[in-house]
Amino acid sequence: MTLAGPGSDLPEAAGQRLGTGAWSSGLSVADFAACGPMGLRPVALVQGFCAMQWGWYAAGPGLTRGGWGGPGGAGGGGGGPGPAPYAAATESRGYNESWPCPHGIASLEHRWGSNYEQPWVESAWSQGFGSAYRRMVEEAEQAGAHGIIDVVDDASYMTEQSVVEFHVTGTAVAVEDHEGQAPLWSTYLAGQRLAKLFEAGMAPVSVAAGLSSVMMWPNCQTEYLLGGGGGSMWVGPYQDEITQVTNAETAARRLVRAAVSAQLGPDILHGARFSVSRRAAGGGGHVIECTLRGTRVRHFKDFDPLPPPTPTVRLS
Amino acid sequence: MDLRAEVRRAMAALGQPPPRGGRGATSDLSIDEALLLHSVGWEPVELVTGVSVTSVPWGVWTWGQGEIAAASSAYAKAMAGAAARMGDECARAGGLGTVGVRISVEIHPYHIEVALVGSAVRPVGKSAGRGRAPFVSDLSARDFCLLHSSGWEPLGLAFGASFVYAPRRTALTTFGQAGQNVELTNFTQAMYQARELAMERMQRAALAWGAGGVVSVVMGQGPMAFAAHAVGFTAWGTAVRVGPDGHRHLEPTMVVPLDDAAVMFQASSLRGEDA
Repeated sequence: MTLAGPGSDLPEAAGQRLGTGAWSSGLSVADFAACGPMGLRPVALVQGFCAMQWGWYAAGPGLTRGGWGGPGGAGGGGGGPGPAPYAAATESRGYNESWPCPHGIASLEHRWGSNYEQPWVESAWSQGFGSAYRRMVEEAEQAGAHGIIDVVDDASYMTEQSVVEFHVTGTAVAVEDHEGQAPLWSTYLAGQRLAKLFEAGMAPVSVAAGLSSVMMWPNCQTEYLLGGGGGSMWVGPYQDEITQVTNAETAARRLVRAAVSAQLGPDILHGARFSVSRRAAGGGGHVIECTLRGTRVRHFKDFDPLPPPTPTVRLS
Repeated sequence: MDLRAEVRRAMAALGQPPPRGGRGATSDLSIDEALLLHSVGWEPVELVTGVSVTSVPWGVWTWGQGEIAAASSAYAKAMAGAAARMGDECARAGGLGTVGVRISVEIHPYHIEVALVGSAVRPVGKSAGRGRAPFVSDLSARDFCLLHSSGWEPLGLAFGASFVYAPRRTALTTFGQAGQNVELTNFTQAMYQARELAMERMQRAALAWGAGGVVSVVMGQGPMAFAAHAVGFTAWGTAVRVGPDGHRHLEPTMVVPLDDAAVMFQASSLRGEDA
């Protein structure tokens, strides 16, 4: 594949296509109609792809079941997108909790457990998402756009379970009569929602996204409780919080918010979308992954409070 | 408002260095909801979550009589734990309460998981006062604004659940009812028992808050997928009470929308044909 130029990720053919004059867009008709009053002119449907393989070599000692000490949070898998707004922000030494066997017995049945953050997975996700996003931005710049609206992103496993394809797409737009040198902006919003954002005095800066990944290897007590082993013939059934699982779930949510908050600076994350996925790892372990996406916005004028809303009853 | 001018103004601001200081905030509210909150003097502060996972002992779903107390208790602990954690996060973020909360409950044979995600909110420019615990509600931002405008205030998440055995029929009864249209009273009675216990627990929780009632109640009911002879009933909602200024009548305006999406006219009717 011939690239558009030195240091470019854009294929030469894409560069030529973007310069032909006819434009394309992924906007719905309603969202397209809303562009006119805002002075936005669609210039191209832009996309970025990146296929990433998850690397295990940078996992560190925490990979071992019941690992003492954990991965330390230094993060591996290196080569993130640099200062782009997708670097995973881990805690200073990474989240890591050890769960000793409460019975004090060493055997195959009684064992320690651990919860720990997987910075190499977060780093790989950030690198994949960041690369796909950068490629989309490059296409938009090639097309002479000032911003990208209606961004949609997706990450899906390819043929192998360790290979993930990132796909980011959006509609590049030019701001009519704008002569300044503002950096290219992007947003998940489009149509009337974007118009309301501008009306409310907020400018979209960029999309913001992050992923946290926490591995939980249960200790003997957690495994016992997850298997329905609460109670005995002497004390009868009892139920209690499974603290190790609760802590792992809580940590995954906290870490992803910290990762995205670190990208914001003084700005606001608007319209955040939060999702959680879990998958079983061999040997009774579980991986909890949380993603958080939203549009980073900045106030460009003092907010004018709206008048109190008028309650209405629709007669239809 | 000249929207084009506003967009150009926004672009000019983006060309300037970002303002120094300040702290980023996160919120899962839509722009409509955020503006609506502002219109009643509130603002989002932070995205907050709460999770709790509790164990359910082996065998409790299978044999027994009456309520499956271990499962009901596990559900109550998981809900209370998740709500308490969300309240703690809200207080740390300086919020006075949470709105737009999405509640996810997963009931598995051996554990129950409750996860809450929502936005902490507070009156514009004010942080939570000391000594006052933030409220956790499942109200949407729109519902919260409407409630606020009506002079009511949310107090907390009230919930109740009960899991009950549906007693097995005797072999003779099963044989006698085979092939007939007949009500299975064991299941009907079990469902009624579970409903009464769950609703009573939810209302008792609301009374403990000092509430006058519970709004936006969400109910779930039915047999457990993994236990054919157990039925469950869950309910949660937001406990509310009337504020110090009393109830305010909103007197809504009637609106006849002209954007009805339903097709009311068929071209074939011009030819006298039925649509």
